Amino acid sequence: MSYPTDSALVVDDTGTAERLASGVVGLGLVTFVFSLLGLTQIVTEETAILGVGLYDFLAVGLLLMGVATVGLGVGSRVGVFNTTPDATPGAVTAALFGLGGFVVAGLLASQLLGFGTLGWLAVASLIGGVTFVGVALAPEDIGSTLPPGLAAIVVGLLIVGGILTPAFAWEPEGFSATLTGSMAIPLALSVTSLVTMWAGAKAYEGYGSTGRQTAAYLLVGINAVAIIAVLVGLLLFIASKGVGPAFQGFSLVPFEWPFVTNGYSFRPEVINGVFPAIVGTIWLVIGAVITGVPIAVAAAVFLTEYAEQGRFVGAVEIATNGLWSTPSVVYGLFGYAFLVPRLGGSTSLLTGMLVLGFMLLPLCLITSREAIKAVPDEYRDASAALGVSQWETIKSVVLPAAMPGILTGVILGVGRIAGETAPILLVMAGGLRDDAPNVLGSFEFTSAPPFVANDALLQSAPALPYQLYATITAGVSAENATEFGWATAFILLLVVLSFYAIGIFSRLYFRRRLNS
Amino acid sequence: MTETTTQDTDRSETAGASSDSQTRSQPGAGTESTPETWTDYEFEGEPKMAVSGLDVYYGDDQALDDISIEIPEKSVTALIGPSGCGKSTFLRCLNRMNDRIRGANVDGTVTFEGKNIYQEALDLVELRKRVGMVFQAPNPFPKSIRDNVAYGPRKHGKVRTDFLAKLTGRDDSEREDEIVERSLKQAALWDEVKDRLDDNALGLSGGQQQRLCIARCLAVDPEVILMDEPASALDPIATAKIEDLIEDLAEDYTVVIVTHNMQQAARISDQTAVFLTGGELVEYGDTDQVFEDPQSQRVEDYITGKFG
Ligand SMILES: Nc1ncnc2c1ncn2[C@@H]1O[C@H](COP(=O)(O)OP(=O)(O)OP(=O)(O)O)[C@@H](O)[C@H]1O
Ligand SMILES: [Mg+2]
Repeated sequence: MSYPTDSALVVDDTGTAERLASGVVGLGLVTFVFSLLGLTQIVTEETAILGVGLYDFLAVGLLLMGVATVGLGVGSRVGVFNTTPDATPGAVTAALFGLGGFVVAGLLASQLLGFGTLGWLAVASLIGGVTFVGVALAPEDIGSTLPPGLAAIVVGLLIVGGILTPAFAWEPEGFSATLTGSMAIPLALSVTSLVTMWAGAKAYEGYGSTGRQTAAYLLVGINAVAIIAVLVGLLLFIASKGVGPAFQGFSLVPFEWPFVTNGYSFRPEVINGVFPAIVGTIWLVIGAVITGVPIAVAAAVFLTEYAEQGRFVGAVEIATNGLWSTPSVVYGLFGYAFLVPRLGGSTSLLTGMLVLGFMLLPLCLITSREAIKAVPDEYRDASAALGVSQWETIKSVVLPAAMPGILTGVILGVGRIAGETAPILLVMAGGLRDDAPNVLGSFEFTSAPPFVANDALLQSAPALPYQLYATITAGVSAENATEFGWATAFILLLVVLSFYAIGIFSRLYFRRRLNS
Repeated sequence: MTETTTQDTDRSETAGASSDSQTRSQPGAGTESTPETWTDYEFEGEPKMAVSGLDVYYGDDQALDDISIEIPEKSVTALIGPSGCGKSTFLRCLNRMNDRIRGANVDGTVTFEGKNIYQEALDLVELRKRVGMVFQAPNPFPKSIRDNVAYGPRKHGKVRTDFLAKLTGRDDSEREDEIVERSLKQAALWDEVKDRLDDNALGLSGGQQQRLCIARCLAVDPEVILMDEPASALDPIATAKIEDLIEDLAEDYTVVIVTHNMQQAARISDQTAVFLTGGELVEYGDTDQVFEDPQSQRVEDYITGKFG
């Protein structure tokens, strides 16, 4: 015996709605990516697909998205689609859409219709207010699809209809900047496509809490990917400019990499390189870590394990936070005014190390304190109950357990100081040079205190970031200064990344020891 | 009305004095008399540890109220009582772990072999070497099993396995291995971990971690061992092993153990102290006597399960 199927009564159109919604999200993603590319000028209004301008193409897509989104909302309301919307999209959505309505209406009225200030303000407030109230009172499916859908339709029409063209220019009074059409179009495309995608994702899940969750995931995901894309873009950009000059004359067998192994010789027949600056930067970081990190960790141990938690610790905490946010040029000035006269009277590698060490200090102190605080008290109790002194406990239980956190601070700090230019400018400035500072080889023993001397430490040395600044901006005479600069930037990036790699691997090592 | 007034004046007069002097100086003051306690326990020999007039406060809350008790040497003393009655607090007073709790205030005297451990000149590190402790919750270090057990001996300089010791030929690795093996065997953990002594201790199960903590404590070779519910996370087989261990330990060590398990207390202990809510010690005496013929009605109710 089988149940009679009455297909006329059961309108099961979930499939259609889901397909439509995925179409909206998919189209939206494409539009969003291309409009971002448009914002970075990688594609422009001249880019064409199959003879049709790219932006026209995207605008038609946006138009379709808008229509589909409105369809999804209305379809859900009249019951064509099986959905479970809430009573309202919520106050935050309403407020944001209201704001969006205000901006869009204001721009349309002032820029296209030529209203005066009073006029566009009135129109914008009216539309914004109506949108806010409408969305707040509407059921969720209508409230979250109609505004984005309509906005997509309007923007699509504006572009397709040739009203918003690359020739369009907006010069807000009192600003010296101009918003041109070639920026405005991708900007409008990216914003509207993002919001429409959000609506599409909601519709895909049939609204309700699952809908909101999926839509939120979509936005958060796009956000994360976009940030990573910006980073990768930055790296690729520098690499694309710098790899060429940096690898000039490179060969693997026999190994030759003149840009990295040569100094700057001012002779036309050899390829100039940044070897001295690389060595200088590495010595700077090593010196800064040696001066800064032990003091920071010791201070953190004292403040966390020994000191009475009270006013003194609070004051130190405030001072540390203040030091951390002190601009680096101020550190440089301190080094210039205080350290330089006391350490040989001229700018030197040593003063550079000390100043960068001071800069490293607050961050390492803050992170070390947090790491030590995060070590469970149970470990300390267990050790104390075994009759082990506090210092032994700190040495063999607390610090090993806090090590990964401490290293995180060192990694972050080194990332900051390795690329620091301003203090170097003041306390170490070394120009383009042929020879690298020979720190290890310059140690000499003397018969009088302090018994050791090191000329290399007391001389100025070049460093990558400062050299970059000098060649590109300050016009220090160098042949092909720009190319040399990009290559230097690329190498600086590699050096900083290798410091990161060292830090991250040592942190991994200590984590392993704690956990396996 | 008059009663309240009297009490108020009493309070202002005795301000600053500890609460026991207040109750003692006026026996039977008011209608609420101090409940009777039976804590006189006669035994041969000198007590290993003796506590008298012990009050403990956490901030303004009193956790222990005028505790006096003498703990005989080389025996097992069980502390029982409902949750929150101050058993752990009492245990922590015996090796001064309460010093480490902010806001904890200890009043009274605790002696170890006749010497007051709450005197200024006391060497805390030395005291805790001789009075070891196993905590209520397992707390192994994030180190290998071997490093956990050998931690105490190494830090006390009993075994030296560092680089310098190896260089000078004074390497104690073998002795360390012996200590690790003996301690783990005593704690009934050896068979389960003997093939992975270099694995991290955090990878052990809760019960295994607890036994590791017992082994870590035994490795230090203390004279008194304080155990706070050492078997609460163990299965019956491991519990039985730990109980055997405790009985063995009592031949050479003084064991004080907190337990919620009456049968366990009855099985393994020589004398039992019963704490009741409010932080008072109500009855202390020979275990058989406390369980079979308790002097206090409240203790009888507690033991027979009428009152928790
Ligand atoms: N660190 C602390 N700070 C404040 N109050 C505490 C602290 N430790 C214990 N107390 C309080 O002291 C009283 C006794 O606690 P304690 O831990 O000694 O009880 P217990 O008998 O061991 O209980 P359980 O059987 O549940 O372990 C409780 O009221 C508890 O709230
Ligand atoms: Mg307890």
